[in-house]
Amino acid sequence: MQELVEVIRHIEIFHGLNDAQLAEIAQITQREVYNGGDTIIEQDAPGDSMYIIVEGQVEVLKRDAEGENQTALFLGEGQVFGELALLDQGLRSATIVADEDPTVVYSLMRDTFDALCLADTALGYHIMRNLALDMAFKLRHTNLDE
Amino acid sequence: MIYKVSYVILGGKQKGGIKNQNERPKVGDQVRFGRGIYEIIEVKEIMPPREDFQFLHATAKPIDKKQTGTLPPVEPEHDAAQ
Repeated sequence: MQELVEVIRHIEIFHGLNDAQLAEIAQITQREVYNGGDTIIEQDAPGDSMYIIVEGQVEVLKRDAEGENQTALFLGEGQVFGELALLDQGLRSATIVADEDPTVVYSLMRDTFDALCLADTALGYHIMRNLALDMAFKLRHTNLDE
Repeated sequence: MIYKVSYVILGGKQKGGIKNQNERPKVGDQVRFGRGIYEIIEVKEIMPPREDFQFLHATAKPIDKKQTGTLPPVEPEHDAAQ
């Protein structure tokens, strides 16, 4: 457990949390390991979890007008994906494919995450603020890439 | 310090990405996204630093694969639609 706490301590969306809060997060995360080429989530599928990359890299693919997957960007260590479906409960906005062997992620389920945020509103505030900053950074990246 | 870096590939045809790294990227460093290997040609701050994080934007250009001695071999492209 302490090892996992040390890993998530350095992840941006958990920045500002104290040791007890980090331990609470560690208890509700699920470690998942993928090989390069494995699909982690599919565009337009329902989603109830968010993922944090702790090792490796993923490719973010979006379907074009012809139905072909096109690379939108790559996300590496410390990055978050799947957060839109976690927040708005909509369908997945992109397909995510592991790009390296191994690609290791931690997943957070919406129900347990929401329950934890409600039980500890300071924790919820920190994570939501950090998620907003992460989305702002992604938006700036997208603007620069156009 | 953790450096959160937005990489954009010059020309716009190939896609870069976002990653955290422990060392600040420098002009001349190489970075890999998918099958592409790129050389950094510019690094600048994109947002003010916050606590342990610095937020950077790097522009990179594709390089000749013969010059990529510092990076591991590129794996064959996978079928992203599987």
